[in-house]
Amino acid sequence: MNHAIISCLHANLPAVEAVLNDIDRQGINTITCLGDLVGYGPQPNEVVELIRKRGIATCQGCWDEDIIDGLNACECSYPSQLAERRGHLAHQWTDDQLTDENKSFLASLPTSLRRDRLLFVHGSPNSQHEYLLPDMDAFAALERVETAGADILFCGHTHQPYVRELRDGSIRVRLQNADHDCDQGEELTLPMRKIVNAGSVGEPRHGSTNATYVIHNDATDEVEIKEVAYDVARTCQAIVEAGLPKVFAWRLSHGFEFAEQAEDASHVCER
Amino acid sequence: MSQTWLISGSPGCGKTSWILKTMLSHPGACGYLRLDGHSDIGLEQASNSGIDQAFLKDQIPQLLDLSETQHASRSQQGDLLALIELPQFHSPQHADLAGIDPRIKNQLEALQLQPDRHLHFGRDHELPSKDKLEFQKLESLNLSLNRSVWDPPSLNTFWFELVNGAYGDVYRAKALMNLPDGRSMFFNWIVSQESSQFLPLQEISDPNGRPASLSELVVQGKHLDCLRIQSTIDLCLLNDAVLEMHQMPLRDQQKEAIPSS
Repeated sequence: MNHAIISCLHANLPAVEAVLNDIDRQGINTITCLGDLVGYGPQPNEVVELIRKRGIATCQGCWDEDIIDGLNACECSYPSQLAERRGHLAHQWTDDQLTDENKSFLASLPTSLRRDRLLFVHGSPNSQHEYLLPDMDAFAALERVETAGADILFCGHTHQPYVRELRDGSIRVRLQNADHDCDQGEELTLPMRKIVNAGSVGEPRHGSTNATYVIHNDATDEVEIKEVAYDVARTCQAIVEAGLPKVFAWRLSHGFEFAEQAEDASHVCER
Repeated sequence: MSQTWLISGSPGCGKTSWILKTMLSHPGACGYLRLDGHSDIGLEQASNSGIDQAFLKDQIPQLLDLSETQHASRSQQGDLLALIELPQFHSPQHADLAGIDPRIKNQLEALQLQPDRHLHFGRDHELPSKDKLEFQKLESLNLSLNRSVWDPPSLNTFWFELVNGAYGDVYRAKALMNLPDGRSMFFNWIVSQESSQFLPLQEISDPNGRPASLSELVVQGKHLDCLRIQSTIDLCLLNDAVLEMHQMPLRDQQKEAIPSS
C-alpha cells in the first residue's frame, strides 16, 4: 500500500494545499508529517489547522519545539549570526500569530512515530535539530538507523530530498573477558537499511521552487520523490504583507540549492 | 625608460586585474593611481573607495602612489611603469591620447602626469575583451565598513544574496571585508562571470580588537535596495563581546606558539 510522507511545511499554505491535493488525486489515504509546520512562512495558524482538520499523524519539528519551549531550545544549531537573528525575527512573529489552541497542538506532538519497521522523525532519532545530510559518514548514518531499531528511517529538516541505501553494513564486536584467557569476537552483518528524506513542502532548497514529498510502498519498499508546483508568488506576497523579512520571499522564489549549514551538522544540543 | 599609461573601461571590465598582472610582470618600479570617473546620464560612477589601491598595494607592497609621489621623484625611477585607472562607461571617440576626456586631462596635469598611451577596454586589442559590458542605467552604492568585523558564515550568506539579486539587480560588487582572525578578504564579482573572486590579503592584522585597515563595499546595479543592504549588514557584523570571543582563543594560540625567552 502506498503512503505519503511530508515534511517542513513552514507555514506555507499554498504549498501544503497543492501537495495534499496531489496526494489525494492518487488515492493515498495514509499521510505522515515529519514536523516544522511553522516558521519562516506567513500562514502558521492556517497550516496547523489544516493538518489538524485532516487528522494527519505528525511528529514535532525543531521549529514546533522552539515555539513551545522558547528560543533556548537550541540556539547553537544556527549556522550563522545572520541566520540566528533572522530566525529570531521569524520566531517572534510566529509566536505572536499562533493561537493558544494551535500552540497546544504543537506541544502535544511526539518526537517520533513508528509503524512496524518504519520510523518517522523530523531531524534524526537523536534530536529534531540534527541534520542527516545525504553525504553524512556512512557508519554514523547506519548507526542512527540501527540504534533506532528501524529498517527505514524517514526524516526531513535538511529541505533536500534524498533516498540513501546503506548496504553491506557490518559491526565487529570484540569482548575481552578478564576471567578467561581468550578474546570473544563476533561480526554482525546488517541487512540493508534506508534513510528517506522527504525534502520540504514549504521551503524547498533542492534547486527548484517545487514542493517535495515522498511516496513509499510498504509492500515493495519502493520510494518515489515527488515534486509539486504551487503558487509561489502568492506565498511570497503574503510574506511581504505579513512584514516578515523580504529575503524569505526572495529565497522561496528562487528555490536555491544553497543553504547555510552548521559547522557541525550532526551536532546534538545538550541543553 | 619611464612609461605612463591611462587604462580606462566600464565597471567590472577587468581594469584592476589587468593592471595587477601587468605590474607583476614588469621588472622595474610600478606606480598606480585611480581617478574618479564621470557619471553619464543614468549611469552613476562609484566614488573612489580606495579598494583597488589597497588591494594592489597589498599585492605589490613597494607600489608607488602616484597621487603622493612628486614628479621629480618619479623621474628618478628610470624604468617606472605608471598605470592610471579610469572608470569610463563609453568608448572614447578618438584613438589613443586624443581620446582622453579634457576633464581627465586637467586632473592629470594637476598631478603632473602625462600619459604616453591611453588604452580603453573594448576598443584596444591589447586588452582582454571578454568582460566588455555596455550599461544603459547604473546606480552605485558605497558603504564604508571601516573597523567592522564580519561573522564569517554570515558574510558568506550576505555575499551570496547580494550577487544573486536579493537586494536589486547587481551588476558589479567588490569589497574589502575584515574577518575576526585578522584577515582581510578582497571580494570581487561581475555579472558576466560565473563566480566571485575571493582573495585573502597578504597583510594580516593581530586578532586584537578592530583592525585599522580599509574596509568598504561598492555595489553597482539597478533598483538597489540600500536600506535592506545596510540592515542585513548590521545583522552580520560582530559586536565587541562576540569579537572578543572569537579572538581570545587565537591570541592564546599565538602565545603558545611563541616560546618564552
